[in-house]
Amino acid sequence: MIDQKNLLSQITEISFTVNDLNLYLDTHPLDENALNAFKDAMTQRKQLLQTYAENFEPLTMNCICPDSNNKTKSHTKYPDQRHFTWSDGPLPWEGGVF
Amino acid sequence: MWTYEKRLQFPVNIKNTCPKTASLIISQFGGPDGELAASMRYLSQRYTMPCKEVGGLLTDIGTEELGHLEMICSIIYQLTKNLTIEQAKTAGFDAYYIDHTTALWPMAAGGVPFNACEFQSKGDAITDLVEDLAAEQKARTTYDNLIRMIADPDVREPLKFLRAREVVHFQRFGEALENIKSTLNPKNYYYYNPEFDKQFVKKEM
Repeated sequence: MIDQKNLLSQITEISFTVNDLNLYLDTHPLDENALNAFKDAMTQRKQLLQTYAENFEPLTMNCICPDSNNKTKSHTKYPDQRHFTWSDGPLPWEGGVF
Repeated sequence: MWTYEKRLQFPVNIKNTCPKTASLIISQFGGPDGELAASMRYLSQRYTMPCKEVGGLLTDIGTEELGHLEMICSIIYQLTKNLTIEQAKTAGFDAYYIDHTTALWPMAAGGVPFNACEFQSKGDAITDLVEDLAAEQKARTTYDNLIRMIADPDVREPLKFLRAREVVHFQRFGEALENIKSTLNPKNYYYYNPEFDKQFVKKEM
């Protein structure tokens, strides 16, 4: 059983890395170390977002798939129906799963 | 174009209701150095920025500020979502409650409504980037003041994160200003306006 809170924490951390490297690369577009770090972090972020969407709700539009999202049927009004999974999951401003 | 990501940039999970704290933090929503002004400042300035890389930086920082706006609103929302009418009366939240109940509305801690005059979009690259540098420092000072006054660790942790981001943005804007200056006449940076006097602007900019 995947720990939802732990997985979302990992997404928060790796996404912060991606975001901060993004701003750094905006002003240092040829920095080899930063380019490699960005590539690695972005690969991890994509994998984690995919794993999260398969087990829980999709966090981005690109992760929405009514047939493969939210295997654990968490935070959904329609646990046994094919449905639009974008509305699954807690609202971020309610604290989410943290 | 923007897409929404259904999570906060940094977690906000506040257990204790405190309308007084909410009425102070609301300045970072709609106050003079708040996140709404920050995002609108950068996202307005970018169109005429003569250097493509700096226009890109304004887009990316402006976008992150929208995420900060969401964090600040989440803090205010969580501080007031279980508000009782007795708490609203005693904690100085009464006037806000009359006009907005517990909804989010952008204003300064002193009650002044959000106003586009809080930020500038001047159409001169040096002028705008110096404004942006000052804006990041003013926001950092506001976070310093809030962190000094607020004791609840649930509120302090996201504020400390946001304060640190102001410092990083200041650094990036400083690099952007140097980038712009490197394309200008080093004997007189003010010889022309790089956003308007296009006949002087080098092709590679």
